[in-house]
Amino acid sequence: MIKKDYKISLLKIVKFLIILLIVDFALGTISQYVFFNQKTGKYARATHAIEKTEAKVLIFGSSHAHRHYIPEVLEKELQTSSYNAGAEGQQLLYHSALQKMILKRTKPDVIILNVDEDFLYGSQAAYDRLSDLHPYYANHREDLKPILEQQSRFVDFKLFFKSYQTNSTLVHAIRYYLSPQIDFKGYRPLYGKLSASNKLKMVETDEIETVIDQNFVTGFKSFIAKAKDNNIKLVMVTSPNLVQVDHTNNKSLSMITEIIKNEQVTFIDFFNSKQFLNRYELFHDSSHLNNDGATLFSSLLAEEIKKMKL
Amino acid sequence: MLFNSFDFFIFLPIVLILYWVLVKNIRLQNILLLVASYVFYGWWDWRFLSLIALSTITDYIVGFRIQNASTQYVKKRWLWVSIVFNIGLLGFFKYFNFFIDSWVDLLASIGYQSQNVWMLNILLPVGISFYTFQTMSYSIDIYKGKLKPTKNFIAFAAFVSFFPQLVAGPIERATNLLPQFLKKREFTYKAFSYGIKLMIWGFFLKLVVADRAAIYVNAVFNNIENHDGLSFIVATLFFAFQIYGDFAGYSLIAIGTAKLFGFDLMTNFRRPYFSASVGEFWTRWHISLSTWFRDYLYIPLGGNRVVKSRWLFNLFITFLISGLWHGANWTFVIWGALNGIYLIIEALLFKKNRKGLLNVFVTFCLINFAWIFFRANTLENAIYIIRDIFTTPGRLYIGSGDDIAASLYATLAIMILLVIETKKEYFNRIFSISKNKLEVVRLTGYALVVFIILYFGVFGESQFIYFQF
Repeated sequence: MIKKDYKISLLKIVKFLIILLIVDFALGTISQYVFFNQKTGKYARATHAIEKTEAKVLIFGSSHAHRHYIPEVLEKELQTSSYNAGAEGQQLLYHSALQKMILKRTKPDVIILNVDEDFLYGSQAAYDRLSDLHPYYANHREDLKPILEQQSRFVDFKLFFKSYQTNSTLVHAIRYYLSPQIDFKGYRPLYGKLSASNKLKMVETDEIETVIDQNFVTGFKSFIAKAKDNNIKLVMVTSPNLVQVDHTNNKSLSMITEIIKNEQVTFIDFFNSKQFLNRYELFHDSSHLNNDGATLFSSLLAEEIKKMKL
Repeated sequence: MLFNSFDFFIFLPIVLILYWVLVKNIRLQNILLLVASYVFYGWWDWRFLSLIALSTITDYIVGFRIQNASTQYVKKRWLWVSIVFNIGLLGFFKYFNFFIDSWVDLLASIGYQSQNVWMLNILLPVGISFYTFQTMSYSIDIYKGKLKPTKNFIAFAAFVSFFPQLVAGPIERATNLLPQFLKKREFTYKAFSYGIKLMIWGFFLKLVVADRAAIYVNAVFNNIENHDGLSFIVATLFFAFQIYGDFAGYSLIAIGTAKLFGFDLMTNFRRPYFSASVGEFWTRWHISLSTWFRDYLYIPLGGNRVVKSRWLFNLFITFLISGLWHGANWTFVIWGALNGIYLIIEALLFKKNRKGLLNVFVTFCLINFAWIFFRANTLENAIYIIRDIFTTPGRLYIGSGDDIAASLYATLAIMILLVIETKKEYFNRIFSISKNKLEVVRLTGYALVVFIILYFGVFGESQFIYFQF
């Protein structure tokens, strides 16, 4: 009797798994079709960068990259093509993964990485947001596995299911299908000026509760190595800030600049740049430039790059 | 180890296969369950295994002492040993800092400022409120003559630490669960498939309903100064489903897991938001705890077989303590007290067995009002939220960036849950995929639920809310 129940149970499990795989394959394929056919939004931009862009100047980084670098300005000044692959809220591990996937298909002449001062500080959000890479896992397993394994073990098992690969992407796809999120070669301008009446104090970086995450350090070094291996000129840039900031105690930035120096990477530093300090009319908020600020910044950056004859 | 972790998905099949391989030897099965349970718990923090072991040994010995005591007086003394030990564990690990803090605040309120406050940096052992109550029930039931102590220490230790329900219940009675460790368990397809179904639905409740709703709830309740009344109302409604999804989800996974091993655990939730009175709500919500308090506190206090004023006092004090059981914070005490007051008002003003949708709606609102205290980070926050709900509706926060999607997914998941529970509550006999004659339809139905979990679930391996209790 018991043996019979074992057999029935095993048989039912097998049947259930087969049906589950069919359901997952069918609905997962539809979901992936929807995902990869998005025209606008963050996923569409990432997909474009990974699968289509042939730009010769590629920009990487977080929201500061996404909102500060205008490809059209760079193209005009440098007489070459450009695409902004910056992604809001993402950090080094994501940028490193994106770079690897892009470089497998195309080789730009220049890669610009916008460096945030806190790039190397530990952040759970940075790990959680790596799920944005899941849809690309099937086609880029060897590049993504080492990075995604830092977020979660058993990546292969989790991402075996097509439905999990596109987990939670449907609303995003519908949203930007109904209301397209326009971008200009990956750049999305911010409008509006910060009110000068909002007196902002000089900010001292608080480094007491911040710990360097060695995975991020490895990711940063790997980003540099990948560009070097592919003979791509790499430029590290820091974005301008509104008010004077003292970074002397910022361990993350100190380590970043040390690595840049050791690796002999070109570094263009706009932190505390006098052309932007206290110029409220160039900022959308205390951390991000508006379109006027981004235009000025992109022009100044292009000039610097031209001067360096990269 | 968390149910919603991949560690568990490896752990469970290994233990399950070994367990049924040993089907002919109950003792070896119990040893395996004991070891597996200690591994399960130790995965979180092995240091606190000693507390479970101590609680096990104490109540094992106390059980015999009570049974063999020559007089009622001696029996009672041994019962107190169990109660003092278990409540002492709880008091030290869970309430020590709370009482010190509250005492200091009380002194400060009458003008005496303490200079040196002796606080301890204590980590709360997961599930301590659950297993201490479970072991206490063993000693109390022996004292009451409902149960004889078992000589089988392994079976008793496995009963105390049974991993499916160790850290967040259901809080089992020794009279129900312990005998199951002493007899041969049979593997049946019926129990196995039912267990899997319960687990699938439990994971849906946890990963799709609770963890999705949590994103909006946390965004609002953790930043109250940036939100207004409308957002607080929506966040409270979401919290009602978050805590239900979280806790009922855990209970279903626990009951389902136990079924796989041939054990029957008690039902812990029966669609509580369809209750037509607060009294009925407490017969449907966290049933294992509310019946525990009924049997071991409310009835010993006299229950309702006393004069009316004493009965109402018994009701109130039971819920006040139930509130404190949930957490060492005044928010939980007020939550418990509020439920006690609801019940007193119901007892005084309304007839029993109320029915009707209007009563269901009113009860749901009352329960939600109490949830504000349960979820708010502090008492001050709760008062701020309630004030804003009634005075400053403001604009509804719908989330920013990916949070908007999270809110929509949560809404969708809650709607699915409500449709299914409405069907079960009012139209149980019509259309049921799980009872369809065609096997392929049934299996496809379950596969679709798994698909929804994989496609819409949150896979951050988040803790279950009740772990903190």
